[in-house]
Amino acid sequence: MPLRVLLTKPTHDCHDRGVRHLARKLRDAGFEVVFTNFLLAQEVVDAAVQEDVDVVGLSSSSGGHMAAFEDLMRGLKAADADDIVVIAGGVIPDEDAKELKSWGVRAVFGPGSSPGDVVTFLNAHVKAA
Amino acid sequence: MFDPDTLHKATQAQAQWEADYARVAKRFGGDAAAPLETHSGLPIKPCYFPQDVQNIPGEDIGAPGAYPFTRGNLPAQYQFMRWANQPVIGYGLPEHTRARMDALAAKGMSGYFGQKFYNLVYDLVSHEGLDPDHPAARGRIGQCGMAVYSVRDMERLFDGLELPKMNVVHITYYQVIPGLAQYIAYAERRGVKPAELRGNSMNWYHQSAYVGMSAFPPDQGLKLAVELITYCTRHMPAWNTTNFFCYGVEEAGGTATQEIGLLLAFGVELVQACMKAGLKADEFLPRFGFQIAQANDFFEEIAKIRAFRQVWARTMHERFGAQDPRSMHVRIHTHTSGAVLTAQQPLVNLIRTTIHALGAALAGTQAMEVSSYDEALAIPTEEAATLALRVQQVIGEETNITAVADALGGSYYLESLTARIGAAARELARAVEEQGGYIAAQRSGWIRDEVERSADRWRELVSSGKRKIVGLNCYQTEDEQRAPIFRVDPQVEHTAVERIRQLRAQRDGARWTEAMRKFEEAAQLFKHRTAADLGAGELMSAAIDAARADATTGEMMGVLKRALGWGAPHEH
Repeated sequence: MPLRVLLTKPTHDCHDRGVRHLARKLRDAGFEVVFTNFLLAQEVVDAAVQEDVDVVGLSSSSGGHMAAFEDLMRGLKAADADDIVVIAGGVIPDEDAKELKSWGVRAVFGPGSSPGDVVTFLNAHVKAA
Repeated sequence: MFDPDTLHKATQAQAQWEADYARVAKRFGGDAAAPLETHSGLPIKPCYFPQDVQNIPGEDIGAPGAYPFTRGNLPAQYQFMRWANQPVIGYGLPEHTRARMDALAAKGMSGYFGQKFYNLVYDLVSHEGLDPDHPAARGRIGQCGMAVYSVRDMERLFDGLELPKMNVVHITYYQVIPGLAQYIAYAERRGVKPAELRGNSMNWYHQSAYVGMSAFPPDQGLKLAVELITYCTRHMPAWNTTNFFCYGVEEAGGTATQEIGLLLAFGVELVQACMKAGLKADEFLPRFGFQIAQANDFFEEIAKIRAFRQVWARTMHERFGAQDPRSMHVRIHTHTSGAVLTAQQPLVNLIRTTIHALGAALAGTQAMEVSSYDEALAIPTEEAATLALRVQQVIGEETNITAVADALGGSYYLESLTARIGAAARELARAVEEQGGYIAAQRSGWIRDEVERSADRWRELVSSGKRKIVGLNCYQTEDEQRAPIFRVDPQVEHTAVERIRQLRAQRDGARWTEAMRKFEEAAQLFKHRTAADLGAGELMSAAIDAARADATTGEMMGVLKRALGWGAPHEH
């Protein structure tokens, strides 16, 4: 079974070049990819559960990422879906990345990361449910 | 362009050079025939000669200030008036943004003829069309822009400034009508008429063809754009109604050719819609503005701007009958590329942005935002914003490039590239029309596909190391310099929420209810209008009435989204 990955971005955040490229590269690498925008983190939780994904990747390039991740992690736990691996991408300062990891976000791919880094990480650390 | 003797000698010189070049290439183990290309993928040669430009008609190049304006809109470029400094400003509460506006003005940030010029960006909550007390607002209030949601917030932002003597650019996404309505209502409270206001609305519905996601389907977006243009044409003659978001194409990964070709195609569709609504070309075209990127391929980016001036002028004149030169001008706000800046070795970005800004000045831009060196990290610190302003000031004051208009005009390479990009852009605009026009190509995803293909190609080149980025895929360092990160005061969220609650409690409830009912009615009627039915400005007038009654951005956008949006779940 290929890994199922949900990639998502806040609707107001128009900086979607990176995450869209990543979606293509993950698809090319054999993953099943779902892409959606969201307003509330709960929409991401619902989509992740409905689509039965193994991984959620949330990209944020306009700030406001900490609240989104806080809500996402809490929402996944409440939905009994905290076995889903969460990764982050976009413009996320190092200090924030450290805090995100302490909340259970498994990896943060900041500016300059390559899609290959994400593929390598997923293959090494995530097993399909 | 050249007499036969000159051409003959140039041809001989070229033949000699080709032989010499091939010899050098061989010595270095290279291939003299290996194709070189611009960042857009246009083929280029290692050297250019008169015969490369001999087929370009002299009138294509012409003079600054003369049709088709390849060399510049006006006879004088910077000799009497510099480009305007337009750094993007906006974070935290309105008073925080105001402090940054005042600080940069004190450091010499200046518009045309020394007038005040403020390029202000709204925050993520406003962009989303929400108020700060919405559940999705947490963590986004005052981020990436200013927390301004009402006329009262505009009082906090602008009080004490002389509105008719300044330019205000309102950087909004889809909340452009509420934003303008609130500014008009605010000015009225200050005793200033709409006709006295100067500034810009973005009117950016077209951008969702290549970036992000729109609050409105493409056809409703186009009508909303026409509505704002119609209103301003009748009531705000000094207001710039529409910002052609060329920059977004480049930032999304599009090429220089796509940047101008796609926006030329959008221009055609927008102009047609405005004319259907009863406007004449020379009534509204002079108030279009163009936000254009300045990225890494130095000459291509300059050629792009010269080519755009030419193809835009020809299209507006030949196809739409524009007669006023101002209707044919591409008035440019340069935004130096943020996408090519790096989080690695951030100070190196200062060097990149300086090269971009130099190119923009040589291309004859009207206004500039130079990205801050910490762009890839966070909102600029005041130090970073000041340095970005200094880049413009050093180029303007110290290099003497402002003495001569279109100083690179006549370069065999630049003229050849200008002609080539212009032809490619026209070709792309034609291809969009074959898709049924810009709106149809937006709806079908054709435009998004074109731009994404370019973005993927660029990324592959970077990943494979064929396209070098210093600090990212070459010359990396282990001990990265760390730039200070700007943080918005966490108290901002609390204050913004308190203020919106107070506003709701204190405003005249009956007046608000009535104004919102009429706005809702106007929006429902608007839904079924075609471009030909527009022109009375009913929706815009109702929005201004709502703003007068202290309606907030979230409340007004709620009305527009319910009537004209995609439907649930985006109706919040």
